[in-house]
Amino acid sequence: MTEEQNSLKEDQRDTIYQIRVKGHLGSEWINYFHGFTIHCREAGETVLTGPVMDQAELHGLIRRIRDLGLPLISIMRKDNK
Amino acid sequence: MPILTTKLYTPSLQPKFVQRPHLIERMNENAHKKMTLVSAPAGFGKTSLISEWIAECMLPATWVSLDEWDNDPTRFFTYLLTSLQKLKKHVGEGLFDMLQSPQTTPSEMFLTSLLNEITTIEDPFVLVLDDYHMIDSKQVNNALSFLIDHQPPQMHVVIITREDPGLSLTRLRAQAQMTEVRASDLRFSSNEVKQFLDIVIGVELTNEEVAALASRTEGWVTGLQLAGISMQGHKDTKRFIETFTGSHHFILDYLLEEVLQQQPETIQSFLLTTSILDRFNGPLCEAVLRDDAIPVQETLRYLERSNLFIVPLDTERNWYRYHHLFGELLKQRLNASGKQVTHLHKRASEWYEQNGLELEAFYHATLANDLERSERLAEGNSLLFRGAVTPVINWLSSLPEAILNQRPSLWVMYAYALMIAGQNSSVEQKLHSAEMALEGEPLNEKNRDVVGRMASVRAIAAASQYQTDQVITESSRALEYLDENNLYVRTVITWTLGYAYRMQGEALKARKSFQEAISTSQASGNDFVQMLAITGLGQTQEEANELYLAEESYKQVLHLAGEPPKATACEAYLGLARLHYEWNDLDAAESYVKKGVNLARQIEGVDSFVACEILLARIQLAKGSPEEAASILNDALRSARKHDFTYQLPKIFELKIMIIIHNGNLQEAERLAQAEKLLMSEARVYQAKGHSSKALQLLEEAAFQIETEPLRVKVLQAVLLYECEKKEQAIQVLHQALILAEPFGGIRTFTDEGPSMQRLLTEASAQGVMPNYVEKILDTFSVGKMFTHPTTSSKTLVEPLSERELEILTLIDYGLSNKQIGERLYLALSTVKGHNRNIFDKLGVKRRTEAVARARELKILS
Repeated sequence: MTEEQNSLKEDQRDTIYQIRVKGHLGSEWINYFHGFTIHCREAGETVLTGPVMDQAELHGLIRRIRDLGLPLISIMRKDNK
Repeated sequence: MPILTTKLYTPSLQPKFVQRPHLIERMNENAHKKMTLVSAPAGFGKTSLISEWIAECMLPATWVSLDEWDNDPTRFFTYLLTSLQKLKKHVGEGLFDMLQSPQTTPSEMFLTSLLNEITTIEDPFVLVLDDYHMIDSKQVNNALSFLIDHQPPQMHVVIITREDPGLSLTRLRAQAQMTEVRASDLRFSSNEVKQFLDIVIGVELTNEEVAALASRTEGWVTGLQLAGISMQGHKDTKRFIETFTGSHHFILDYLLEEVLQQQPETIQSFLLTTSILDRFNGPLCEAVLRDDAIPVQETLRYLERSNLFIVPLDTERNWYRYHHLFGELLKQRLNASGKQVTHLHKRASEWYEQNGLELEAFYHATLANDLERSERLAEGNSLLFRGAVTPVINWLSSLPEAILNQRPSLWVMYAYALMIAGQNSSVEQKLHSAEMALEGEPLNEKNRDVVGRMASVRAIAAASQYQTDQVITESSRALEYLDENNLYVRTVITWTLGYAYRMQGEALKARKSFQEAISTSQASGNDFVQMLAITGLGQTQEEANELYLAEESYKQVLHLAGEPPKATACEAYLGLARLHYEWNDLDAAESYVKKGVNLARQIEGVDSFVACEILLARIQLAKGSPEEAASILNDALRSARKHDFTYQLPKIFELKIMIIIHNGNLQEAERLAQAEKLLMSEARVYQAKGHSSKALQLLEEAAFQIETEPLRVKVLQAVLLYECEKKEQAIQVLHQALILAEPFGGIRTFTDEGPSMQRLLTEASAQGVMPNYVEKILDTFSVGKMFTHPTTSSKTLVEPLSERELEILTLIDYGLSNKQIGERLYLALSTVKGHNRNIFDKLGVKRRTEAVARARELKILS
C-alpha cells in the first residue's frame, strides 16, 4: 500500500487528538467540545481529548478555541492502533 | 441586496477609555503606508484602538464590519463599495451592476475599475475592514491582495483580525508597506491596568493588587474589564483579587460566572436568550423573548450603563450587538443549560421576515431546523440573486440526502444555486438526484412546478453555452410545466426562449417570445428582464429593417435603465449607435457607442464590448481615419480571442479586410479573406484587383448571405455590375435595393461602397430613379476622400492639378453639368468655368470629354 492510500484510509476513520489549552475549563464545556473529555491539569492547563473525523473538523475545532480566546498550547495526534 | 447600515457604522469611542499614545503615534507615523494590520486574539481591544486612532488621526475613514456571509464576493464588494460612497457620493455607482452578473470570482476588469473609482477620491482616507478573520474565501482574499498591490497612495487599509489574513504579509513586511499591531503591543502594561481600573471601572487599588491583576490577566483588556465589573459588585475587593489570582480557571469562565451571578434573574435571562442574535434592537428582542416581565429598552440601557459588553451599532442607539467574545460565552452557557433554542430562532426568523431582512430570516430559519420556512425564504424572494448564494449552498450541503429526497424541489434549488455560483459541473448531478427523487411520485401541481424548474435550470445552463436547440427544448418544457403563478421563473424563461429563437434566425417566434416576456415582466415588476426583453425586441426589429421601431424600443430601454444607467442598457446603446450610423449621423453614433462600451465593460463573459469596438472602428473609417479604425479593431480582435468570442470574429475580419484593401495590400487581404472563408470579403478583393466580373460570380454563390442579408448583397452586386459596364442591369439592381432601403432611411449601406457607387447613383439619378432619395445619399459622399492615391501620376503633368480641380474633374467624369457641379460644391457657375479652363490648360485639351479621356490616360482618374 502506498503512503497516499494509507493516509486516505486513515482520514476516513476518527483519529484521537489531544488539545492543550491554558486555564481550567469546567465540565459544562462538554457540550461545546462535543465528544471530548475535559481534564484539568495542575499547571493551570486543560487537556481536551477526543475523536476528530478529518482535517476539516480539526480546523473547525481550532477556530472555536480561537473564538473563545482560549490560549492554545499544543495539539497532538494520538496513534490509535 | 438590502444594505445593513449597522455593518458600516464606525464604532464610537467609549466615553471613558485608556489612551494609548504610543500605539496611536506609531500608526500616525505610518499612515502613508499601504496597510495597518491589527492581529490579535479576541478581546484584546483591537476595535477600540482603531476607533481611537480614527478619532485622533483626522483622516476621513470608512468602516466595514465583516461577517461570515461576506465570503460571498458579491456581498463583500457591495458593502465595500457602499462604504466608499460614504466618503464620496456615488463613487463606483456603475460597479454595482457588475456585481449582479452570476459569477463568484471578481474579475481583474472589475477590480481595475474599482481601483480607478478609488483614485477619484482625492483626499487621503482610511478603509477599515473589521473582523477579517471571518473571511476564509480564497476569492475574497485574492481580490483584496490585488487591491492592496495596486492601491492608490491616498488609501490606507486597516485590517482587524483574530488570525493573520491570507494576504502576502511577508512581501508587505519586506517592502515596509505595513504596520503591525499584535497581541504583545495590545497587552496593557501595569500602568495602563491601573489607569483602566481607575478611569473606566472606578476602583482604586494598591500597586500590589494592580500587579497581581495585570499578571493574572496578562494585560488582556476583556479579562480586566470583567474583573473590574465583578469588583464593583464585591464589597471586599481584596479578597476577590486573592481568590481570582489564585485560581487556575479559564479567566473568562471564572469572571463571567462572577458577573452573571451578580445580575438579577431577568437580566441573566435576557442575556442568555438574546445571545442567539448576532445583532439586535428593542423590537427584535421583544419578539424573541416574548416575556412581558422583561422591560427591553430599560434592560438595554442598563447593560450599556453597566459596561456589560454591548456595543452600539448606530448613533441613534437602535441596534446593538454583544462583544463577540462575551456573546460566544453566553451562547455556550445557553447550550450548556440544555434549553431549547429552535423556537427562539423561529421567532427571530419571523421578525426578520416581517421587517424585510430576508437573508437573516433565512439564516435563523435554518438554525430553527424549519425546512419549509428555509426553502420558502431562499427562493421566494430570489435570495439567490442577491449575494446570498453561498449561505444557501452551505445550508443545502449540510442537509442529509434523505431530507433532500423527500423534497425534490430542494435538489433543484441546489442545482440552480450551484449554477449561479459558476459550479456548472455539479449542476446536472443534482438535477439527476431530483429526477430520481420524483420517480413514482404523483404528478400533482407542486411536482409539475418542480419539473418545470428543472427544465428552467437546464435551459439557462444551455443558453450560457449557446446550445440553442437545447434551450428551445428545455424552455418550452419549462413553460409547459411551471406553475402559472411562478411569474418570476416564467419571465426569465420566456426571455431565454426568445433569445434562442433569435440566435437561430426564427425572427417571428423570437419576437413573440420577447413580447410575452415584456408583458409578464411588467406584470411582475421585473425591470431587469423587461430591459433584456425590450432590447431583444429592438434587435429583431432592426434585423427586419424596421429601424424606426427599433429606435423606439432602444429608447424605452434607456428610460428604464435610469441615470446613471444600469449596465444592462449597453446593448440598447449599441443598437442606437448602429441605427445612427446607418442614418449617417456619425457623431450621434459615436456618442452612443462610447456610452455602450463603458457599460459593456462592466459585464463579464458577454461579447457586447467587442461588438461596440467593431462599430467604433467602422465609424472611424467612415470619418476618414483608417489608422485609428485599424488600431481599435486590433484591440477588438485581441479581446475576442482572449475571451473566445468566436461569434464576433467574422465581423472583425470583414472590416479588417476592408481596411487592408484601402491600404492597397491586396495580397494580404486575399489571404485573410480566404483563410477566414469570408465570401463577401473575397468578392471585395477581386473588385479591388479590377476583376469585378469574377467578384460577381462569387457573390452569386453566396447563398447564405443572399438569404440573411439580401440588401447588402444587392448593393454590392449593383456596384460590381456597374464596374463590369453592365449599366442597365446595375441600375435595375440598385433600384431594387433603394426600394428596400428607403422605408428605413438607409444611407451608409450605399455610401460605404465608395466611388463606384457614387457614379452609379449619379447616373441612376440622371435617369430619374428615386431622385429625391438618391440625392440625399449622394450628399453624404465627400468628394475629396475618394482619391486614395491622388499623387500617383500627376507628376507627368507639367503643372499638377489642384485638389479642387481634381474634384471638379471627377464630377465632370460622372456626367454632371457645370451648373450641377456648382450646386454640389457651393461654387458660382463662373468659378466652375474658371476651374474648367485651368484644367483644360493643364491637360492640354479643349473640351470636357477630352479632359476626362486624357485624365484616364494619365491615370489621374481611375
